[in-house]
Amino acid sequence: MTEISNLSLLTMIIFVMIPVSMSYYFSLGISKSAIWSSFRGVVQLFLIGYVLTLLFSLEDWQGVGLWVTVMLVIASLQAAKRGKGVPFAFTLSFVSLLIIEVFVLSVWIVFDIIPFKSEQVIPMSGMIIGNSMVATGLAFERMKNEFNDGRGKILAALSLGAKPAEASKMIIRKTIRASMIPNVDTLKTIGLVQLPGMMTGLILGGASPIDAIRYQIVVSISIFSCVSICAMIISLVTYRFFFNNDMQLQTLGGGD
Amino acid sequence: MKPIIAAKNVRNERVKNVDFELMEGTLTTVIGPSGSGKSSLLMLLNRLTDPEEGEISYKGRPMSDYPIDELRRKVGMVFQQANLFDGTVEDNLKFGPSLKKDWDSKLGVSLLQKVHLPEDMLTKDVEHLSGGEQQRVALARTLANDPDVLLLDEATSALDMRTVELIEELLDCLVTEEGKTIVMITHDLKQAKRIGTYTLFMNEGSLEEKGNSKELFNNPTSEALMRFLEG
Repeated sequence: MTEISNLSLLTMIIFVMIPVSMSYYFSLGISKSAIWSSFRGVVQLFLIGYVLTLLFSLEDWQGVGLWVTVMLVIASLQAAKRGKGVPFAFTLSFVSLLIIEVFVLSVWIVFDIIPFKSEQVIPMSGMIIGNSMVATGLAFERMKNEFNDGRGKILAALSLGAKPAEASKMIIRKTIRASMIPNVDTLKTIGLVQLPGMMTGLILGGASPIDAIRYQIVVSISIFSCVSICAMIISLVTYRFFFNNDMQLQTLGGGD
Repeated sequence: MKPIIAAKNVRNERVKNVDFELMEGTLTTVIGPSGSGKSSLLMLLNRLTDPEEGEISYKGRPMSDYPIDELRRKVGMVFQQANLFDGTVEDNLKFGPSLKKDWDSKLGVSLLQKVHLPEDMLTKDVEHLSGGEQQRVALARTLANDPDVLLLDEATSALDMRTVELIEELLDCLVTEEGKTIVMITHDLKQAKRIGTYTLFMNEGSLEEKGNSKELFNNPTSEALMRFLEG
């Protein structure tokens, strides 16, 4: 693979300067954050590069165990921010992401889809956990919004004798559906509109397009499944928090 | 006549000093300025909220003694907004009975007839109904559970004059022929006087005055009610 020299990398400043100049020209007020986020992104990626090099030098089970745990904690913290007000949002995010990671990794390893090697498991798990994190956060947000906007309908259902599970059915359905739609659309146009990141990376790394596609299929289908499972777990557990023991709707407040 | 619902010294964050009895087979109207606690009162009777103090009883036993879902089926409520569920009119009508696996599509037709809607509306998507039609479907949906007590929160406010008359006839029939007890919030004072046997006047969260509708309208005793009736 052709290496990008430090000097070539420095030319990326031109690309950073374009949005910064636009920010000045149109008084968008985001020039500072554009420079800061670009700088931070570069530093973070370099650091991760060194961290990954270190991890790949460890025993596979150590590298995978260590980094997957770090990813799970960070992803859970991020997802829980969206679930502010929902009791046990962090714990719930962590457990659902853990279930998904264990499930996906088991399928990959048991069916010999990928070998248990840090170089393979870590980046692929990252994609699964990252996408599941977004789905978890969105499921939290969606549940809160739906319970807020659909309050009248839930009260109507309760008043007709529905139990919380029956009254929330439509909200749970909407939440799971909403989490699946972006992935359904992505899968429909995959490769046609945009070459997915993993496939692009493998091709740039010298893999044949057919091999790259095989990996992409594994990752895309796994992500699709994980995102649906995430939304299902979050909505099936969190709806209970919106009701008290007397099957009355309650407003959630406070943090995790 | 015996009381089917009795509230004793009920208070929560929205209502206070609520003390009344609802006689079986009567229609009670609830009047009062906006924000006076009328809707909160109905929510208490359907146990969508609970009192912090005092007690509400149904058929002589505290409401909390009944399984809450059963109680809500017996004390049905129609809200100010129709709050129909996504789907067809039939999906909405069968919601309550289906929870008990007790739905027969013939019931759907008779419910629509009761609220003066055509029977072919059963398969119509609720999105395509007018506000008045939605409100009538909401009423039919609550009636599908065959409740003993019917709580109506401004259920006729979105209807035209002719439909209001038809619904009032239906309510009268439900009371006189089926022995149901109805509590109805209304902003239409003429309607409150016309159809009510009893009237409750709520003001600033308190049940300020209660009594026979005609007497209450003709001889208000509290200053607040006098001011309210003068408009």
